Amino acid sequence: MWAERLKNCMRIAIPPVFWLGVWQLAASLVGRELLLPGPLAVARALCALAVTGDFWLSALMTLARVFLGLAWGTAAGVLLAFLTHFSRWASALLSPAVKVVRATPVVSFILLVYLWVARAAIPAVIAGLMVLPVIWGNMTAGLAAVDPQLLELAGAYRFSRLKTLRLVYLPSLRGHFTSGLLTAFGLAWKSGVAAEVICPPALAVGSRLQAARLALETPDLFAWTLVIIALSLALERLLRLLLERGERT
Amino acid sequence: MIEIRNLTLRYGDKAVLDRFSLDLPDGGITALSGPSGCGKTTLLRVLAGLAAPEGGTVSGVDPGRTAFLFQEDRLLPWRTAAQHIADVLPRERRGEVPAWLAFAELEGEGDAYPAALSGGMARRLALARCAALGGDLLLLDEPFAGVDEERAGRMLEGLRQLGTPVILTSHQGAVLERCDDLFRLDGPPLRLL
Repeated sequence: MWAERLKNCMRIAIPPVFWLGVWQLAASLVGRELLLPGPLAVARALCALAVTGDFWLSALMTLARVFLGLAWGTAAGVLLAFLTHFSRWASALLSPAVKVVRATPVVSFILLVYLWVARAAIPAVIAGLMVLPVIWGNMTAGLAAVDPQLLELAGAYRFSRLKTLRLVYLPSLRGHFTSGLLTAFGLAWKSGVAAEVICPPALAVGSRLQAARLALETPDLFAWTLVIIALSLALERLLRLLLERGERT
Repeated sequence: MIEIRNLTLRYGDKAVLDRFSLDLPDGGITALSGPSGCGKTTLLRVLAGLAAPEGGTVSGVDPGRTAFLFQEDRLLPWRTAAQHIADVLPRERRGEVPAWLAFAELEGEGDAYPAALSGGMARRLALARCAALGGDLLLLDEPFAGVDEERAGRMLEGLRQLGTPVILTSHQGAVLERCDDLFRLDGPPLRLL
């Protein structure tokens, strides 16, 4: 019993300890904090940042921008998927455009959008643009996979369009939507922060990351990167839990 | 009387209905019997307006006022047994759900999802849903497949009490014996024996 518990604890503790050791060893071998700070220096920088109000406000604003992008990108992706599925004209017109958006590098979009949109709005616009094709692709595949026998049943049993949507389409699409949203969230987060780095708004994690790089504060650069990773993992977990709960109910 | 005249329908090169004609009664329970693949289902689908014939006419049936039981159960995996019945009933008739579950001998299974039902139970639920939808004519494709004879007999009597004309296909001798009229068919192309 105790041996098993100990084994489990070791299994959880050893990998992070091992990689922290590798990191510390590499930092010692490099010997210059400017190039590669050790974990202790980064932890110190993180603690120093965490006591400032600016840190929390920046994280909150970045979160807000990413979620705004996720929300509009998801809504537009779902809407376009329905349009292109049910209308040949809409499909002929819009599908190539969405595919172009999917194939365009995020950096090109950031620089282009910089010309047209206020700086503070760029991260949300970019995050949404990255989310849209993913959601569109998943929903389009989901719509094509809706059981034709159930659709025939809905017609034969005189279901209204709204009822067919509620009873056949939406439940059939749930799996495609969930997996699309989880993939899209990761993309929204990365592209949103990238946009903040390239076009830094006043309060943003990406702006702080850029400022740390320009000031050659490498421990701060690492600390902000850790914040981004931690927030991304935590929010993805939260999103997964919410979606699972939604599925159960 | 339901008058079917010179119905023609092909699937690719295969003629399933080739100038097929038949008069069917428009009351009671009428059975169509014949080997699998002879064209019975296609005939029912034409009567229900789910398949468009290339030629011929049907009179005495309004496809928009029929209820069709598909050969497959076609239950929605995310709806409970009670919800399946409620989904086809107008709001003012939702109170009938327990009665329809009783018709299918599924009392106590109202909260069960299709995955939790046996093959026979799922078939009975599909039949109850179709009967609850109602209309001027019930078109039932193999309504008692997987249902034991005794229960099938009780449900057939339940259908008779509804008073709605029924046309069904079946291979089960016990079911065919209880129907008011029986047409033995062969094919393809479909023909009356």
